[in-house]
Amino acid sequence: MELQPIFIQILALALFAIGILVAITRRNIIFVLMGVELALNAVNLSFVGFAKTLPAELSVAGQIVPLFSIAIAAAEACVGFAMVILIFRNRESIDADSYSNMRG
Amino acid sequence: MTNIPLWLIPLFPLLGTIILGAIAVTSSGNKKGAPENLIGALAVILPAISFACVTVLAVNMPASGFRETICNWIDIPLLKVNIGFQFDALSRIMLLFVTGIGTLITLYSIGYMHGDRGFTRFFAYINLFLFSMIVLVLSDNLLLTFLGWEGVGLCSYLLIGFWNKDLKNCKAANKAFIVNRVGDIGFLLGMLSLVTLGGAGVLNYDMLNHFISMLIAGGHVELIMPMLTITCVLFFVGCTGKSAQIPLLTWLPDAMAGPTPVSALIHAATMVTSGVYLVARLSNLFVICPDVLNIILVVGALTAFWAAFAGLFQNDIKKVLAYSTISQLGYMFMAAGASAFDASIFHVFTHAFFKASLFLGAGAVIHALGGEQDMRNMGGLIKKTPVTACVMIFAFLAIIGFPGFAGFWSKDLILERIFTDCNWVITGSWLAPVVPMNKIFYVVGLFTAVITAVYMGRLIIMTFFGSYRGSKENEAHIHEAPAVMLIPMIVLTFGSIFAGYLWADYMGVRVFADSLAPVLAAAQSFDPARSLNPDILLSEFIPRAAEHVNPIIFAALGTLAAVVGMFIAWKGWMHAHIPAAKGSSAPEGYAAGWTFMWDYVHGFFVKVVNVAAWICEKVVDAFLQAFQWTLGSIATILGDGATVFQVRKVRLQLGLSILGIVALVVVVLLTGGLV
Repeated sequence: MELQPIFIQILALALFAIGILVAITRRNIIFVLMGVELALNAVNLSFVGFAKTLPAELSVAGQIVPLFSIAIAAAEACVGFAMVILIFRNRESIDADSYSNMRG
Repeated sequence: MTNIPLWLIPLFPLLGTIILGAIAVTSSGNKKGAPENLIGALAVILPAISFACVTVLAVNMPASGFRETICNWIDIPLLKVNIGFQFDALSRIMLLFVTGIGTLITLYSIGYMHGDRGFTRFFAYINLFLFSMIVLVLSDNLLLTFLGWEGVGLCSYLLIGFWNKDLKNCKAANKAFIVNRVGDIGFLLGMLSLVTLGGAGVLNYDMLNHFISMLIAGGHVELIMPMLTITCVLFFVGCTGKSAQIPLLTWLPDAMAGPTPVSALIHAATMVTSGVYLVARLSNLFVICPDVLNIILVVGALTAFWAAFAGLFQNDIKKVLAYSTISQLGYMFMAAGASAFDASIFHVFTHAFFKASLFLGAGAVIHALGGEQDMRNMGGLIKKTPVTACVMIFAFLAIIGFPGFAGFWSKDLILERIFTDCNWVITGSWLAPVVPMNKIFYVVGLFTAVITAVYMGRLIIMTFFGSYRGSKENEAHIHEAPAVMLIPMIVLTFGSIFAGYLWADYMGVRVFADSLAPVLAAAQSFDPARSLNPDILLSEFIPRAAEHVNPIIFAALGTLAAVVGMFIAWKGWMHAHIPAAKGSSAPEGYAAGWTFMWDYVHGFFVKVVNVAAWICEKVVDAFLQAFQWTLGSIATILGDGATVFQVRKVRLQLGLSILGIVALVVVVLLTGGLV
């Protein structure tokens, strides 16, 4: 059976759902970040999948945008981990639920 | 034939501004300032190069002129404006004397401003002024002209308040700027309504003329007559501000607070005539609104008469010249109102020479007396400063229209053209069944010429004749001005004697008129009585008749006016005892009432505006603040309520926000979007 574009989208959807689920359910802040990354990459996959449905000369845009978002994601991960380290030093905990002193 | 690009003309003064401005800023710290010789040479040479460019272009110019587009400036659907230059007959005349007299006065300023702390700054401003003035007269569209118009207004402000240590000077500068602003609003709104009428491209002068000829050819003038009239009135409001006509004229006498070369250059020779230039530039537009031309005629006549009368009461030598400038500008607008645009430009041209000479002469007198401006403390200076006295007496003969001098040709021409070209009549009044307005305006003009000769004669007599009335210690220091000041004065004196021979009608010389004909002839031959439907006009016109009056009669009457005026001045002041001045030089009593009449009118409007501002502050503003406060309080209360829902759990909040997005997407999908 040939690779249908819809399969890629289904895979991307599954990855996205897993990512979100991890981000919500895990209490370990490292895992939350991993979940967010996974969701982000699911979107990249979706981009590439849609780019595949277009003729070759038009599909370039769909392939380039993920490259950008990978670069952004790398930067974002750096910032995220730096924050995690700072919060950990402050609180001695990487439990997301312990970060509950946000004032409304 | 390769020609000099037009953008070189404004480039040199701009370069001068930048260089001198940089020097002024960098040398402001040290006590000695930049070397005056270097600064003076720079400040004179750059405008002189511009003048040379203009001369070369003026000689090579074909009848249709040069046009040059530099680049696109504004390009939106409503408005298309290029930065473009147009060198035609009208710009040629204006540029020749703007750059020529500008250079001479800059040279004079080197002597006048010698030793001043702001020497470099002064010349930077002067160069900026020349740049703006060149842009004003050289541009090929109204918006770029407006840029120059604002530029000269700015320089006028900067130079009036040049000695900004004195609060009085700063107030005068503010007044000039603010009163001019009222006129500028007229100019802006005029452009706006013109664009409303004619579309995107009509700000360009060539396009505008084309548009107007299409209107006349298609017979559409009647349709847009009300709008057209409003447009012309708005443009004229702009001109009254810049050219100090009733009612926006109070700033010009106060503008004498600036250094005297500035008064000569900006407030006599060039900037104040830009209103006349604008009317001549838009002559094709103005002639199809003869009602507005009548307004211009009335305003010009009233201004000429009022200012001449006010000039009689002044004790400050520069104030006399300021009122005389206003009065002469009134003559120019009278000519424009009688659709004799070439005559009004001719008077602009000759006036630039003799009024610049007068101001420079007055500056030399003030310089000699160490800053004394009150004529009651002068007298008998002809023995001490003979060259200055000769310059001012020749310029005096020119301004009163003594035969053979420049003012004679231009002023008589204006009076003659008012008589022959104005065809406005008022019918059915109590006075006579048909009142020909041309005769009335001619008489007003002639009477004003008599008063001109009286107040100018008074100035000359009080300054140069009789015996010296000032303090003894001042008398010892009186000296003739240095050569750097005398040379420009003498050159300008030659101008004020011979400039009139460019259009000496009685001698058959019409060089000036023929050179202006390509730009102005079409407008001047437009006859409202024949070409426009009388029903759409507010005032009545009779067809222009070839009524022939021997021009010698006009010349004789004009000469008689000058001689009578001189005689009155001689009778009144030559042997009269003039009390020495005590305190201020401002006129008192009934003279103050007449002099400051328009200041009182302005004061009334300022009061009205102040009351409106008070109402705005106390009522409207309070109401708005209460409204704001109510809204703000409601938002705060709602926000405080909403914080209750905050659960302080990161994961839960993330989940809830994702749920929210999901809900949003579902709603959009189900309802098919928000279309």
